[in-house]
Amino acid sequence: MDFHAEIAGSVWLLGDHVNTDMLHPPDYFSLDADRMKEGIRQGRRRLKAAAAADFAAEGIVIVAGENFGCGSSRETSVRALAACGLKAVVAQSFARIFHRSLTNLGIPALVCRDIQNHVSDGDPIALSIKDGSITLRSEQRYGCAALDPHVMKILACGGLVAYLQKELHGL
Amino acid sequence: MSEGLTGAIIEKHADGRHEGSYLSVRIDFLMLHDPALALMLHDLKAQAAPIHDKSRLLVTIDHFAPASTIERANLVKDVLAFAEQQGLPHCLVHQGICHQVMVEGPWVVPGMLVVGSDSHTTTAGALGCVATGMGSTDMLYCMVTGTTWLQMPAAIRINLTGELPLHSMGKDIILDLLGATGEAGFLYQALEFYDFNCQVSMDDRFAICNMVVEAGAKNGLFFPDSVTRSYCEARDGQAEAWEHEGSISYSNALDLDLSAMLPKIASPHSPANVMNVADAQGETIHQVFIGSCTGGRLRDLEMAARVLKGGRVAPGMRLLVSPASQRIYRESIDRGYVQAIMDAGGVMLNPSCGPCGGIDKGILAAGEACLSTSNRNFQGRMGDPASRVFLASALTAAATALRGKITDPREVL
Repeated sequence: MDFHAEIAGSVWLLGDHVNTDMLHPPDYFSLDADRMKEGIRQGRRRLKAAAAADFAAEGIVIVAGENFGCGSSRETSVRALAACGLKAVVAQSFARIFHRSLTNLGIPALVCRDIQNHVSDGDPIALSIKDGSITLRSEQRYGCAALDPHVMKILACGGLVAYLQKELHGL
Repeated sequence: MSEGLTGAIIEKHADGRHEGSYLSVRIDFLMLHDPALALMLHDLKAQAAPIHDKSRLLVTIDHFAPASTIERANLVKDVLAFAEQQGLPHCLVHQGICHQVMVEGPWVVPGMLVVGSDSHTTTAGALGCVATGMGSTDMLYCMVTGTTWLQMPAAIRINLTGELPLHSMGKDIILDLLGATGEAGFLYQALEFYDFNCQVSMDDRFAICNMVVEAGAKNGLFFPDSVTRSYCEARDGQAEAWEHEGSISYSNALDLDLSAMLPKIASPHSPANVMNVADAQGETIHQVFIGSCTGGRLRDLEMAARVLKGGRVAPGMRLLVSPASQRIYRESIDRGYVQAIMDAGGVMLNPSCGPCGGIDKGILAAGEACLSTSNRNFQGRMGDPASRVFLASALTAAATALRGKITDPREVL
């Protein structure tokens, strides 16, 4: 990941304590990419997502409240979101395992407590990891908590598997 | 500055590497189940790096056990082929749920650092170790390096005092705590229980540590005591003396008076949506499930059998009982629990994660309500999104199966 590049996408707005069973119902555990993605569509229906059933071509940025991604550790929930174009998540707080899995798959998980009431589903959003800032349609900018240096290192590699390869082989 | 026994154990396992707020730690034992291993198999094979220590790795086939779809059959086939090709010494096929079979084996003892590919890995903390869950990719790193990166959690001490009444179980204790603190009440924190009067059985301790993750905790543990020692002695034939030297500090401490513990129930759709069973009485229940890594242990089946013995489940009630392991199943047969459950109209299912995770068996239809001894009642967790799940102890579950509606176990004990 290039931290100097801007991450742009459209917002999928979610509330507090959104669990992985709702995001990606357990029945959709699969290694088949289409089946996995279908689980996210099902989750969007269950979560009553306001935006159109399909996903914006420019990518998704989830904006959520407290304890995002609580519940099961099934990594398919994160993999399926990535397959649907998830670029980043901004939440007030994260459930531990979900935060780790996002990072491990190279998706930045940012903590910002201020923007949840200022965005709607489908809004354009832009993030700068380097500046620690989030820009909304209104041109309003918000700060987010700085990423931990260890997390930055994993993200810079593109995820934990690439980080491991670097450790093992110095690639 | 580290906090709690958790902090002391993490420090003891640190290998000296730091990055940001994370430190690298050596892992004593790893657990991986079928779907998590299936998910990482491609990446793992691509690493072309050996598994760090096969003797410290447990693989279980428990989620797709036995497989109910062609895709799952193929995933399990790949996992088993990998286990065989690698010569993994500990691969348990259909022997029970990972969190139960891991503590039945001789592997985990006080003071250890344990990781597993499942959020409920926290269960093993009942043995006085640090045990926490992770996703597949994290586990891949652990398997190859024998280490992982952890943050130091803040630790909360929970003092359990008083005598636990006969109508309450470990499940009621953890539901009470969840109801008081909410789904993020202990986010990233370590919960450490001190059972001053040794009132809580090891099976109930497993249920408590199992569900600390529903409050967001990183791990939960019981400070090792005579209950821990007896458990390890009975299991391993011996128990090493275990001591912690030095003082232990905590961010916060809570007192829980067990003598006041009433039967508790979590209503849809959150494990933290807790009330007294007495206040939820009368709600119609179509299916009762006694099982899972939370509520399928020997003590759960014992309490269920005690309530069901000589009775009959309500007309139309589906009572499904799945012991958490084959060992528990056998012992429940030997002790007459299975007889009492079946005589009352209960149906025995093989040990697996199936019904709890909506994987197979006991899937709920729209509009149905289930009372379950498992750990999660999120919307759609056990079937149709229009079904509802209540969480309670095995005592409450059995009482409810008899009456066909939510019933306080004090009415039938």
